[in-house]
Amino acid sequence: MHEFSLAQEVIKLAEYEAEKNNAHILSEITIEIGNMSGVDPDAFESALGLLKEGSILQDAYLNIIRIWGRGVCNACKKEFEMNQRMDTCPECGAFPSEIRGGNEFRVVSLGIYD
Amino acid sequence: MCETCGCGNPDGFKIHGPYNTHSHGEDHVHEHEHDHGHDHTHSHMHSHDDDHQHSHDQTHQKTVKLNIDILSANNLTAGMNRRFFEGRRVLCLNMVSSPGSGKTTILEKTIISLIPSKKIYVIEGDQQTHLDADRIAKTGATAIQINTGSGCHLDSKMVETALEKLDIGTNSILFIENVGNLVCPAMFDLGEQKRVVVVSTTEGEDKPVKYPNMFETSHLCIINKSDLLPYVDFRLEEFIKNCRIVNTDLEIITVSAKTGEGMDKWFAWIFNQLKK
Repeated sequence: MHEFSLAQEVIKLAEYEAEKNNAHILSEITIEIGNMSGVDPDAFESALGLLKEGSILQDAYLNIIRIWGRGVCNACKKEFEMNQRMDTCPECGAFPSEIRGGNEFRVVSLGIYD
Repeated sequence: MCETCGCGNPDGFKIHGPYNTHSHGEDHVHEHEHDHGHDHTHSHMHSHDDDHQHSHDQTHQKTVKLNIDILSANNLTAGMNRRFFEGRRVLCLNMVSSPGSGKTTILEKTIISLIPSKKIYVIEGDQQTHLDADRIAKTGATAIQINTGSGCHLDSKMVETALEKLDIGTNSILFIENVGNLVCPAMFDLGEQKRVVVVSTTEGEDKPVKYPNMFETSHLCIINKSDLLPYVDFRLEEFIKNCRIVNTDLEIITVSAKTGEGMDKWFAWIFNQLKK
């Protein structure tokens, strides 16, 4: 249910931006979803696929890019890929002091027909 | 669709109230809110008429870079709510938890204790009914109920709409009791000054690591139902350790809304926020 309201936000956003660019039909939408953003990419893609019918995104290709967060280890400073927020350093088992990326949930671009 | 008059609410949520001890007995006013303050329209059906020239020629395609955070609309409205609260010197607290942790009971007891010295308002969020708003109204605070229908969280626009009906006085406290849900509300800034996550001793000491987003974005954790500690396997130390893994700045208070134990620490925390 949650991903449905997020998909609706995306459709509203796409329609608003398309109007600003005088576009009546979109060929593509590129969305980045971080693996720790709280958004399930599969559920979101399904929701958007269903809801886009009849909207400006009806024929658009849904380009969903998944981004993995990277943690910087608090102890050994090694940078490692994180699958979950609670992941620890694979070298020494400490928690990250810094997490880079993984929280994205943004519309990167729209493809419009000129 | 509205059962009262059969019309549809384009925003998907309904607001009932305000309720207070004076309006008790009146039925709710059914409001239909329309999108305001936004430049863009609702997502409605676009019919692809013949007068549109559809060119599917790939060479005439161009990419418009946006890099827009999808939740930015919510954050923008949340920022406006926050400025509003600051201007009126309203302390706004967003109470989040899973269903049944005792948020409403904590609020009832809190209002009874604070209302002699402070004006208190409550925004209640539930999928259906105004049962919680009714309970709050009996304590002397003014409550307004948001029914989200199928929605699983409150967002800043719902709060903005509720504020228009509430007419909050200056130097007051506003509690927002969010929809019972430890997942989605974590993502939605409502414009609150502080976020309070309520957990009860019957829920398990591993909650913070299982729902890290919620505990990471909160400022205070209230562990409620301390009176049940002798009967459950909940280990306070383990719970606190799990909180620290997720959020080193999280303040933690243990209370029993039922017996009153620890509630004075909660009240003291509230007064501390008022000084800021």
